[in-house]
Amino acid sequence: MSRLIAPRVLWRAMLVINVLAIVLTVYLTYIHYQGISPVCSLGQACAKVQSSTWSKLAGVPVALIGLLGYISILGSLLLLGDREETRLATLGMTLIGFGFSAYLTYRELFSIHLICEECVTSFVFVTLLLIGSGIRYVQGPPTVVPPGEPEPDPELDAADKPSARVTAAR
Amino acid sequence: MASRAKAKEDARARRIAEEQARAAAHAKARRMQRLGGVVILAIVAVAIAIAISSGNSSGGTGLLHGKALTQAETSVNTLLTGIPQSGDTLGNPNAPVTMTYFGDLECPVCQAFTLSGGFPQLVQNEVRQGKVKVVYSPFCTATCNSHPHTIFANQQIAALAAGQQNKFWNYVELFYHQQASETSNYVNENYLNALASEIPGLTLATWKAARSSQALSQQLASQEQSGTSQGITGTPTLIFSGPKGKAQPNTSIPSYSDLQSSLKQVQ
Repeated sequence: MSRLIAPRVLWRAMLVINVLAIVLTVYLTYIHYQGISPVCSLGQACAKVQSSTWSKLAGVPVALIGLLGYISILGSLLLLGDREETRLATLGMTLIGFGFSAYLTYRELFSIHLICEECVTSFVFVTLLLIGSGIRYVQGPPTVVPPGEPEPDPELDAADKPSARVTAAR
Repeated sequence: MASRAKAKEDARARRIAEEQARAAAHAKARRMQRLGGVVILAIVAVAIAIAISSGNSSGGTGLLHGKALTQAETSVNTLLTGIPQSGDTLGNPNAPVTMTYFGDLECPVCQAFTLSGGFPQLVQNEVRQGKVKVVYSPFCTATCNSHPHTIFANQQIAALAAGQQNKFWNYVELFYHQQASETSNYVNENYLNALASEIPGLTLATWKAARSSQALSQQLASQEQSGTSQGITGTPTLIFSGPKGKAQPNTSIPSYSDLQSSLKQVQ
């Protein structure tokens, strides 16, 4: 299968986006519990959105839920090895994050009638992570090497474990 | 001999290629099956989260009956009895501080602020003591999101008509207590009449006649224009005006301490 993007590059890009998302949600969680107004160029819009009815889910601030979600995604990228199952787990988590973020953005636009910059930024991050994890899962591991063709560059595909590879060496 | 060996080699290569193709197809099918399963799980998880989140704002299913209605009526009467009302103003008309409340009766965030935010405590304390008066300024947000403006005008004029008998805030409070989902069409003549009938001391015939008053339509248009000219974009927006100027709480559902903080800035 031809690759849209080199696996290592994609993995690194997702790590960077994920770390930025964690920094953002740590900030949002901190200001939520400290009762501080967020930095916002749209006046009080961000504060209003982040203290609205939809800023909590079952009593838990959505900023904290987002933080835990991004940490889980980071864990699936870093800790459990690059296997099909972990790629799928990353995709599943980003899909849930994207779906709920899309709902919250809908609420911002059509119920609160205000836009919160930090929330939109988080929505962009989770959308990029969803696209990345989707490409990563569909591309799969380097897998089948047709007879007579060279093995993939080990440096390029370092993120893909040999265990997931089906070589032609029979 | 050589050609036989080559034929064997070719057959072996074909067999390997076929096995690889089968393995690849099998792996792809399995990957897609797993993907489908994860997509379904994700949709279920998001649907549950949305259901829980939407539950935060459902705010009841419209008109209350029986014990629930009695509780709502008692709560409204306890809050407002003894506090002067004049049109859409609640509290001492000479209070040094005015809190202008830009609201929409179908707005769930307004409902949360009015019933469980800092508003009840402000009314019980500062408004009752004559330090603050509250002026409701209608501004169409949630209603206009799902319905034509005529619905907004109809419900707001119903409240203003109650205000002609100094029962505006009773009507508003009862509306918020019995607010349903903003996307449903619960606001109809039956609903508006039922709210009016729940207000003790309101003369229904006078209220009904007042609803067709041209003056109230003009008042509504003027108030909406005022909100637009002040740059109001969402509800509830609360503006405190007092001897030291103006202040605005910066949370969507201000707590009592948020309101007190703004109040101190203008006193």
